[in-house]
Amino acid sequence: MTVEVSSLKELVEQASGTSGSPDTQEYFVNMGPQHPSTHGVLRLVLKLDGERVLRCIPVLGYIHRSIEKISEHMNYMNCVHLTDRMDYLSSIMNNWAVAKAVEEAAGIEVNDRIRYIRTIFAELERIQSHQLWWGVLGMDLGAFTPFLYGIRDREVLNDVMEETIGARLTMNYVLPGGLMADIHPNFVNRVKEFIKYFRPKLDEYDDLLTNNVIIQERLRNVGVLSAQTAVQYGATGPVLRGSGVAFDLRKDHPYGVYDQVDFEVPVGTVGDSWDRYWVRVEEMRQSLRIVEQLLDNIPPGDFLVKKLNSKIKLPEGRYYSQLETARGILGVFITSDKKDEPYRLHYRSPNFNNLWCLEPMIKGDYIASLIGAMSSLDLVIPDIDR
Amino acid sequence: MNLISTPLLAQADPASAGAAPSMERVPTVSERAAEALQHGIWGAAFYIVIGLVAVLIVVSVLGLVMSYIERKVAGHFQCRLGPMRVGPHGILQSLADGIKLLFKEGIEPGHGDKVIFIGAPIFSITATILLLAIVPVAPGIQVVDMNVGVVYIAAVSGIGVMGILMGGWSSDNKWSLLGAMRAGAQMISYEISLTIAILVVVMFSGTLRVSEIIESQQQGWWIWRGHGVAIVAFCLYLIASTAELNRTPFDLPEGESELTGGYHTEYSGLRFSFFFLAEFANLFVFSALATTFFLGGWLPFHIGDYEGFNRVMDILPPVISPLFWFGIKCTALIFLLMWFRWTFPRLRMDQLMRLEWKVLLPFGFANLILAATVVLTGLYFFPTAT
Amino acid sequence: MATTTPDQADTESPPMDFGDLKSQCVAPRPSIMGRRRSLSGILWLSFKGILRGLLTTLSYFRRPSTVVTQQYPENRDTLQMFERYRGRLSLIHNEDGEHGCTGCQICERLCPNGSIIVTKDKKNEATGKPALDQFIWRQDTCTFCNICVLVCPFDTLEMTGDFESSVYDRRLLVFNLNEYAGPTADQLEKLGDEELAKAQMKPMNKYHGPVPMCGGELDGIPKLDTGKSDDA
Repeated sequence: MTVEVSSLKELVEQASGTSGSPDTQEYFVNMGPQHPSTHGVLRLVLKLDGERVLRCIPVLGYIHRSIEKISEHMNYMNCVHLTDRMDYLSSIMNNWAVAKAVEEAAGIEVNDRIRYIRTIFAELERIQSHQLWWGVLGMDLGAFTPFLYGIRDREVLNDVMEETIGARLTMNYVLPGGLMADIHPNFVNRVKEFIKYFRPKLDEYDDLLTNNVIIQERLRNVGVLSAQTAVQYGATGPVLRGSGVAFDLRKDHPYGVYDQVDFEVPVGTVGDSWDRYWVRVEEMRQSLRIVEQLLDNIPPGDFLVKKLNSKIKLPEGRYYSQLETARGILGVFITSDKKDEPYRLHYRSPNFNNLWCLEPMIKGDYIASLIGAMSSLDLVIPDIDR
Repeated sequence: MNLISTPLLAQADPASAGAAPSMERVPTVSERAAEALQHGIWGAAFYIVIGLVAVLIVVSVLGLVMSYIERKVAGHFQCRLGPMRVGPHGILQSLADGIKLLFKEGIEPGHGDKVIFIGAPIFSITATILLLAIVPVAPGIQVVDMNVGVVYIAAVSGIGVMGILMGGWSSDNKWSLLGAMRAGAQMISYEISLTIAILVVVMFSGTLRVSEIIESQQQGWWIWRGHGVAIVAFCLYLIASTAELNRTPFDLPEGESELTGGYHTEYSGLRFSFFFLAEFANLFVFSALATTFFLGGWLPFHIGDYEGFNRVMDILPPVISPLFWFGIKCTALIFLLMWFRWTFPRLRMDQLMRLEWKVLLPFGFANLILAATVVLTGLYFFPTAT
Repeated sequence: MATTTPDQADTESPPMDFGDLKSQCVAPRPSIMGRRRSLSGILWLSFKGILRGLLTTLSYFRRPSTVVTQQYPENRDTLQMFERYRGRLSLIHNEDGEHGCTGCQICERLCPNGSIIVTKDKKNEATGKPALDQFIWRQDTCTFCNICVLVCPFDTLEMTGDFESSVYDRRLLVFNLNEYAGPTADQLEKLGDEELAKAQMKPMNKYHGPVPMCGGELDGIPKLDTGKSDDA
């Protein structure tokens, strides 16, 4: 049955009528905004036939904080700290995105040390984001133990970052023109310890979830997202690469020092949840590789180009800059009118586009598959709403 | 319980006396009651009350102890400590939870079917209590020992699903309804495999009476004597009983990450605790039954004719020995089920059904036929002295 | 598993040319049943995977030393926060109890959400220069972005690791960070006169100030009046 409906209201009216066979009735359920598997306040309006999902309409706005509007009254340094609250699992990468946009627009050149440290932290952050995702995926699929293992290992990494930054979640570390603080003297050694600790844990992850036939069968052929659809919907990050599109900003438009390191990018073939799963697990390994290569070669230098960088004024114009966060491409669009505040600041958040891939992915599949597919998208809701 | 047992036992008594098993027979509680009935009603009433009170105490104590053990075991599987606050190492935690549940408001859904809603948990726990009545803990420590014990088990264990179905149906909540429907489909399907697995043992021992099934294992437990066939039956029993218990990897009816709690979403307070108690008591019952059927019940661990070894195993005094051995085996099985729960992810509904109807059931039937062949040709180990 | 949706049907058409990644990629990782395997192969791999999962969890169960739980209130004495932890903003006072804040208000201007209010005495009677009157920090609105610490030209602000700041009354989260109202340590030293310098260091009422939520009297909560700083 294919119905073209434009609005939610129309959809409800259709369902309350006599659609379907006389003995079965399609019905609606609200998944969320309070639901254990929507990870936050995402609300999905599901049209179900038994357990089969016929429509899945995301409803947003439950955690809208108008970050973009608030940013219009902030100087560029202050704008950064709000991005921590968007995708809180890639906060450093979000900070970097704004910093990168401002630096490119204002023509600020940062030194090598800053670029190295930013890259290292971005990769560490990618790892901790994927660690949490891994655990949460296990929990969504009914295995509670992986969640605690993932959290446990993330805690180790969080401590490493906390020592330098001083915060665990809303880090606000990267600023336009540099960093909030220099790396802690212990940092290099502690990251090395972490790498030594985490490598065997990755094999353990494989033992616990990856090689488990139940998890594989829960993910295989579930939520198949073709390359075509992924591109059409603007999916990015592991979601796009899981669908077989080899596109990674770190390779294709290198920023930071990604052009100086040797790493590979995992790319799926089918585009099902399983592909997205192993792409992320593999990305953790590759991130470890990147960090390992950079760690011993951090060049000396200042951690901030100019001490007081609050008065950065961008020339009039429109600027766009993007980078690859743990979930995909975060684009920053700045319209400047020569002031030290943006006239308009817009974020192209990866989760927003990834979310809309959900419906084409799970149409006609079970609710349980919806959970698996949604987990494999790795959504962070505050990033969708901003 | 007593309504069922008394008339049956009136017929059963002479039969069991005639069978005169090798072991000296200790009358069960209900047999004592039947005997006392010949002298007067008050003696019978005394035993009936003893049986009832014993079962109720067992249910509540099981609920308290098992929930504590489950949480501790889960904690240590997950690199946590589990409850640590109430009492030393948190041993009073489940008591505190119980008191909390007692004082919580029992919320009823506004548009729910109140009578069924209230009746559902009672149904659920009644089934458990009825099952507990037949669990042979030690010679004489058993409420009823029916001549059709296995049939009784198969019949009564089906009642539990009624409670769940009623609870889900009356909750006026689509998630609950989904959970209940899942539970109905799942438990009815897996009951078949469960019964088929038990039938193998019935074939071996040639009796439906649980105490006689235990006594038939004096020469060796059925899981050894029945070699391959019994081991397959034991595995089938384990899988099917996990499904019957709604525990991970078969916890679809609850499906916390999918259905936000399934059939008991709307339950709170004491009514929820009834479901909870039933769940834990059932865990014990199914482990106890597996012990009875496959692992020799209260019999100590013997190896064929190795007199020395067997004497060491018999070292415990006759009163404690059965309790000890039963306890050991039961605990091991419960631990196994908890181990499964805290390792595996959950299956999907279609996979669950496929597993039962396309894998376990054909396997079970083939195994049953094989078992018949084994019994007919006397191919099992350690044939009895007769 | 999923029924074909119109979007998926589109993939049947000639594929778009994707994948211009400028490097080789990691080889795809097929799942157990994702690749054509014999039944025995599938069974063996499934069994192996399940067994290894069980052994993984058991290995942690066996070793209580792997428990990572920290029993928080009990381990309070041994608990160490990182030195850079952003728990509470504080104005650095030297051993004589003198601060270095000139009241330049840069932190106030750059605070993203107005969590810092700095008032100053326009002209201090002794030094003739502006001096700090009140450095008010509102922990209830602070986002701990650390910008004030970064931009302070006199490096007189720092974040301390004190993280136990829960209170029952929001008003208690408004602080006067300076212990006295008056000139900085340097300015006081320039005066040369110790007596005069002492006289300039007026004690601060910690909770008094022009902050709306602070200082007023609420039902059941007495007016807050603690002369001496007790957050040390």
